[in-house]
Amino acid sequence: MKAFKASLWAASAIFVLAAPRFLDRGTLNDLWNLAFAVILASAWNLLGGFAGQVSLGYSVFLGIGAYTTVLLSLRGVDPFLTLPLGAILAAAFSFVIGLPAFRLRGPYFTIATIGVAEAVRVCASSVSFTGGSSGLRMPAGSFDFNLNYFSMVVLAILVVALAAYIKRSAFGRALAAIKQDIDAAEALGVNSTRFKLAAHALSAAVVALAGSLYAINFQYIAPGSVFDFRLSLSIVLMPILGGVGTVIGPVLGAIIFSTLQIKLLSIPALRDSFLFIYGGLLILVMLYEPHGLVGVGRRLAALAASAFGTNRRIPDAG
Amino acid sequence: MHASHSWRVTLQAVFLFVFAGISARAQDSEIRIGAVLPITGKESKIGGAYKAATELAVKEVNDAGGLLVRGKKMKVDLRLLDDTSDAAKSAQLVEQLIVQQKVHAVIGGYGSQLVQAQSVVPERYGIPFISGGAGASSIYGRSKWVFGTLSPVENLAETQMDFLFDLVKQRKLKAPLKISLLRENTEHGKDFQKGVREFVNAHPKQFSIVLDESFELYAPDFRPLLMRVEAAKGDLFMCDAHLEDYIAMHRTYTQMGLYHQMVTYGARGADEAGRKALGAATDYIFASGWWSDLLPYPQVKAFNAKWKAATGNNPQWYHACAYETVRALFAAIQNAGSLQPDAIRNALARLVLKDSILPGGVLRFSKTGEATLPFVVTQNKPAGKLDLVWPKAAKTGEPVAPIPR
Amino acid sequence: MQQLVSVTLSALLAAGLYATMAYGLAVIYGVMRIINLAHAGFMMLGAYVTFTLFSRFSLDPFIGLVVVGPLFFFFGVVLYRAVGKSMARSGATPSIESLLLLFGVWLVLQNLAYVIWTGDTQSILTSYTMKSIEIFGVHVGVPSVFVFLASAASLIFLNVLLKRTYLGKAIRAVTQNRDAALLSGVDADRISATAFGLGTAFAGIAGGMLSTLMAFTPDFGRSFLLKAFCIIVLGGMESVTGVALGALVLAVLENVLGAYTPVPTSLQDAVSFALLFVALVAFPQGLPALFARFERKAIR
Repeated sequence: MKAFKASLWAASAIFVLAAPRFLDRGTLNDLWNLAFAVILASAWNLLGGFAGQVSLGYSVFLGIGAYTTVLLSLRGVDPFLTLPLGAILAAAFSFVIGLPAFRLRGPYFTIATIGVAEAVRVCASSVSFTGGSSGLRMPAGSFDFNLNYFSMVVLAILVVALAAYIKRSAFGRALAAIKQDIDAAEALGVNSTRFKLAAHALSAAVVALAGSLYAINFQYIAPGSVFDFRLSLSIVLMPILGGVGTVIGPVLGAIIFSTLQIKLLSIPALRDSFLFIYGGLLILVMLYEPHGLVGVGRRLAALAASAFGTNRRIPDAG
Repeated sequence: MHASHSWRVTLQAVFLFVFAGISARAQDSEIRIGAVLPITGKESKIGGAYKAATELAVKEVNDAGGLLVRGKKMKVDLRLLDDTSDAAKSAQLVEQLIVQQKVHAVIGGYGSQLVQAQSVVPERYGIPFISGGAGASSIYGRSKWVFGTLSPVENLAETQMDFLFDLVKQRKLKAPLKISLLRENTEHGKDFQKGVREFVNAHPKQFSIVLDESFELYAPDFRPLLMRVEAAKGDLFMCDAHLEDYIAMHRTYTQMGLYHQMVTYGARGADEAGRKALGAATDYIFASGWWSDLLPYPQVKAFNAKWKAATGNNPQWYHACAYETVRALFAAIQNAGSLQPDAIRNALARLVLKDSILPGGVLRFSKTGEATLPFVVTQNKPAGKLDLVWPKAAKTGEPVAPIPR
Repeated sequence: MQQLVSVTLSALLAAGLYATMAYGLAVIYGVMRIINLAHAGFMMLGAYVTFTLFSRFSLDPFIGLVVVGPLFFFFGVVLYRAVGKSMARSGATPSIESLLLLFGVWLVLQNLAYVIWTGDTQSILTSYTMKSIEIFGVHVGVPSVFVFLASAASLIFLNVLLKRTYLGKAIRAVTQNRDAALLSGVDADRISATAFGLGTAFAGIAGGMLSTLMAFTPDFGRSFLLKAFCIIVLGGMESVTGVALGALVLAVLENVLGAYTPVPTSLQDAVSFALLFVALVAFPQGLPALFARFERKAIR
């Protein structure tokens, strides 16, 4: 059974890697978007899902990655060589935020992350080395879609694999313990702050990598696009929609979200009711299945199991 | 086998299929024109106006049977999308229109940041792109596929300074004059600041800047900023702002009893929404813009009548610019006589639109793809009147300076 | 001296405005531990309802609040009955689900406003909108003074309601310990609905008052939301008096920075968000707790 599941994941991976051979550019663009969404959702899930620390400030890390890449590229560095530096800077900044903020719990932590993200956005649009509110453009002639596609897809595959690995590792179990009951975890000798910081840094670095690749593909960044609060909100939305704390949940959420976002907007007939559909769907999901699509799946599975009269336990998704 | 895997298999299969593409079939019986505008979100006010004017221009052409291409009339199929004022989505939607809906040309959005994001896309696919809503010079000259009908915002500021300088020469205003310069923290604001600064540097005897500040969009309280203005004791008040900020700021300005010899909010001032919100406090504010319905050309009068008949309102500069952008693109398509991207692009580059409603009466694009037309300056007069005061050749009334106390 | 008076008055007026924006958020957060993103939507809707009352029935915007308040209370209660059940079940920590649920509500409200009122900029101009009065030689706008007075009245009203009535006691009981309140016979669900209605009403009223100061579109409220968060955090998240205090601190900070330092005004927001972070980390219980601590030290 495990082999079947693994082969399914592998088949998906091979499909997206081989896609440029037989799919047209438009579809590849969609897949690029999907991969980007999967990375953001899965990375957020490392801290928000596994450890239960809901941050609404992830646009900061995306922005750090994107700005590092563009600023260095403008000074003649090859864009792809800037990726590690962006990731390191983001991880470092995650410590700066995390050290004080992880003393806070629940909503207080969430609000603190909003505050940091907004302060960074305002600063980025006011100081001059970031180009201020006008943003920055990548130097001309640095665009190769196939390369961008592969790097984003490969990163997405690696991140999902990493998430699956962490979920099963001792690290993942410690995060789960923190999520379950932080005091109990502490009592059992889990240094919660250290684990939270590690998860935060890891996810920040991954999001920064995605941000760098985003900048390379879009070629134009501005505080209003990469440091936007709406972006932070979407990053949280995807794992929640799919099923928080699981491996497949964020992936499903990303699929739904990235499809909805652009496909809905690109149908002129739906143009005037885009927010209705989007908001309404959000309300319905939150109201009836707070565990997201994974929750729906579990219900269906339970339904199927009872319909066939078998007496299997409802398996844990992930 | 776990039961849960069945749905997982299904879902994974579904996602592979969803992305196997809903793509438009290429049939060239129609001209497909894409447009991406901020119809919702923070640019919705002017984005909505651009939508209305774009749709009117397309409707007119279709009502007349379409555009003449290769000897036969072809209807225009407008695919107008909303980017929700989000730069990333804006670029993605332009890409979608080009790649999946296979449009022949793209009409760009409104707002420098959004158009900046869009303008990197056309180069990749070699599709002509024309925007009527971004006057930031940094957008143009990077790609041969990108055109714009809004003249640079620096020139807008420069026109205002020319106008003020002329008032000094007429001895209506007494040099030296101290300027309090405020600007919104956007590219538009930055270009405005640059234009004013450059002029001031070139005319140090007449002008100096005593305050140079920027503010965030949609600030709830302008009092701290205006207290700085009060303390700076400038003679002229020059501010570049969005409509909402202009209204909120000028209310506080009036309540605080501030006075300057001349007051401008950049392109704002003549807007009906502004006059409705501020009443008599807008009197004598001068504004420069890309267009005014007071321009004394016959084609402008015809456009005013057409717009009034279609919507019941008087046209504003953004309606005219959006309308003219579509017209420029259509003229280029007819000149090209072909739907080949290269042909349309070259026709745009060579375009000389002789009966343009924009100032100067002739629309053409510079080497960078940007139109550089003269600006108009209007001044609000009491009882809701509005006069065109610049360029002198087209003026409908004398400028009043300084503002009577 | 004149400048000091001017700065003080400006800070007071701004504090009134900021407190108004935050009351509703604090009431709902206090009882339900919900970060109410729909707050911005409620404010926007409040502005439009006030606008409609003004333009259709020539009802003065401040008198219109008498209609807006109850209307939004009702709207809030109905909304709670429709979607709020799932929000109330979590006890101490707010669920991120409720946050997203209310985000969905906000989006729907925005779309509704686009359909009804279009994306055009609207505003309210009354006979006194542009007028000012002189206080100690400083000109202050009449609407701003009204907003300040209304804000002070709201503070008194909410304090009386929460401290002196049975409803208020019940609300506080639920705020402090939901389970204990349930055990002692308080209908927590009903109390939550009432509190949600109250919070919505004050958001609507805030929107109505803001509509007298500035122009608005369906996107209105977004930029005030984060400021409102900042204020309730400073105010200790729960008490209404704390909110007023938080608003005052923020307003004083902004005005003092504006008047006495060369810090560019465009960085003001960065200062307030940084303050939010520092405040949370340094004294998570807000200013009231900090003052209480000082008092205790002083007594000792």
